[in-house]
Amino acid sequence: MDSAGSWLGWVCSLYRRLSDSPIIGFVLSVFAARPAVRAAAIAIYILLAEWSRALISTQPRAAMGALVLGGLALVVTAAGWPLERLGLGNSRFGFRVLGGLALAAVLLLPAAVRSSAVPILPAFLVLPAVVVAVGEEIAFRGALYAALEDLGGAPVAIIGTTALWTAAHALSHPPQFLFAVAAAGLLLALWRWACKDLVAPIIGHVIADLAL
Amino acid sequence: MRRAALLAVAVVVYAVAAWMVAPGFYDGFTPQQPYNWVCPPVHITGNQQPSSGHLVIQVINGVSDANSAFTDDGQVVIGFLPGAFNATGKTTITVDIKPLNPCPKPPGLTIATNAYAITADAPLAMKAGLVMRYSDIVPAPSNVYYATSADGPWTGIGVSSEAQPFTVNTQVDKFGYYAAGYPTSSVSHGGASSQILPIAIAVLIVAVLVAGIPLAIIRRRRPAGEAEEDDDS
Repeated sequence: MDSAGSWLGWVCSLYRRLSDSPIIGFVLSVFAARPAVRAAAIAIYILLAEWSRALISTQPRAAMGALVLGGLALVVTAAGWPLERLGLGNSRFGFRVLGGLALAAVLLLPAAVRSSAVPILPAFLVLPAVVVAVGEEIAFRGALYAALEDLGGAPVAIIGTTALWTAAHALSHPPQFLFAVAAAGLLLALWRWACKDLVAPIIGHVIADLAL
Repeated sequence: MRRAALLAVAVVVYAVAAWMVAPGFYDGFTPQQPYNWVCPPVHITGNQQPSSGHLVIQVINGVSDANSAFTDDGQVVIGFLPGAFNATGKTTITVDIKPLNPCPKPPGLTIATNAYAITADAPLAMKAGLVMRYSDIVPAPSNVYYATSADGPWTGIGVSSEAQPFTVNTQVDKFGYYAAGYPTSSVSHGGASSQILPIAIAVLIVAVLVAGIPLAIIRRRRPAGEAEEDDDS
C-alpha cells in the first residue's frame, strides 16, 4: 500500500513538474486557446498509437506488450481533463454500471445467437484486452469526444469520434468488418452523448472484448 | 425521448452490421483468416480445403541453404537453418507439406488443427522450427503431436513459448506427421465458451432488468429538483 502511495506521489510530482515546464506550459496554453489544434493533436496521437499497436502486435512475441503499451498510451489522452468532462463522474453510478451491462448485452447479442462460431480469446490476451478496451474508451469517447465537443458541439463529437474510431481500426480489421466497427463506435458515442457517461461504455467494451 | 430513440436506432444498426460479419470484434487483435479444414467442425460453413506446400532447397558446397517451406494458406510453416539437412550427394532437397485426409482420430487426443504430412528427400541434421496456425473458434491446442504413420501412435513433442496469437511453435528433428491438439481429458482454454456466452448474455439481460426496475422506481420517486441536478451532471 505504501509503495503504491509513493508511486502515485511520484507520478503526481512528475505531472506537476511537467506542467510547470515552460514548453509543456506553452503547449497546454495553445491547446486551451485553440480547440481545433487540441482536437487535431489528440486525434493524430490516437491514430498513431492505434496504428502502431496494430502493426507491432503482429510481430512474434510482441502481441502482449504492444497491446498493453498501446492501451496505456491511449490512457495518456485523459491528462489535463477533469473527470466530469471525460464522462467519469460518480453520480448515478448504479445506472452507469447497469448501462454498461446493457451495452455489453447489445454488443454480444449477435455473437451469442451464433455462439458455436464465436472466437475464443487466448488466456494470455485477457489483460491486454482489458487495458486496450479501457484505453480506447478513455481516448475516443473520453478525451477526443470532449475536445470535439468543445470544437463543434455534440454532433461533431459523435460523428468525429465514430469516424476516427473506424479509421483507427482499419489496420487491425479486414474491410468487411469496418461497418460493424463503425456501428459499435456510433452506439458507444451516442450513449456518451445521451447519458453524459463513459463508465457504461468502458464496462460494455471490456466485457465484449473479454467474451469475444 | 429523442436521445432514447437515437440510441434505439443505433442498437438496431449495430445488430444488423454485426450480423453481416463473423462474430468477434478482434479489438486490437489482428483477425484471423478463416482456418481451412480437412474435416471442419459441424458448425463451420463455407469451409475451403487446406493447401499443400512445396519447396526446393539449394545445396551449395554440400551445405543446404536456409529456407522455409509453407502451405499456400500459411497454416503450416517449417523453417530450416543453413546446413539443416544431411545433404550428402545432393544438389537440391525437396520438402513437401500435405494435409492428411482422412483426419486422424487418435484415442485420448483432440486434434485441434489439420494433421499434415511433412516429408523431404533428405533427413534433418539439425532441428527445424515448425509453426502451426490454429482456428480462433476452437480451443487452443496445448501440444504438438508427431506420428511416423498416419494411423499413429501420436506422441506429444511440446510447444515453444507463444509466438503469435493463434499459432503454436515447436522444434522438430525428423519428418513425419504433425498435428496440434490437447488431451481429451484436459480442460482446454475456453472450450466451453460457446455454451457459456448465451447464458452470460441472458444473465446480463436479467441483471439489467432486475436491478434497473427498482433503480428507475427510486429515481422517479426522488424530488424533481434532484433529478434535474443529476441530469446536468
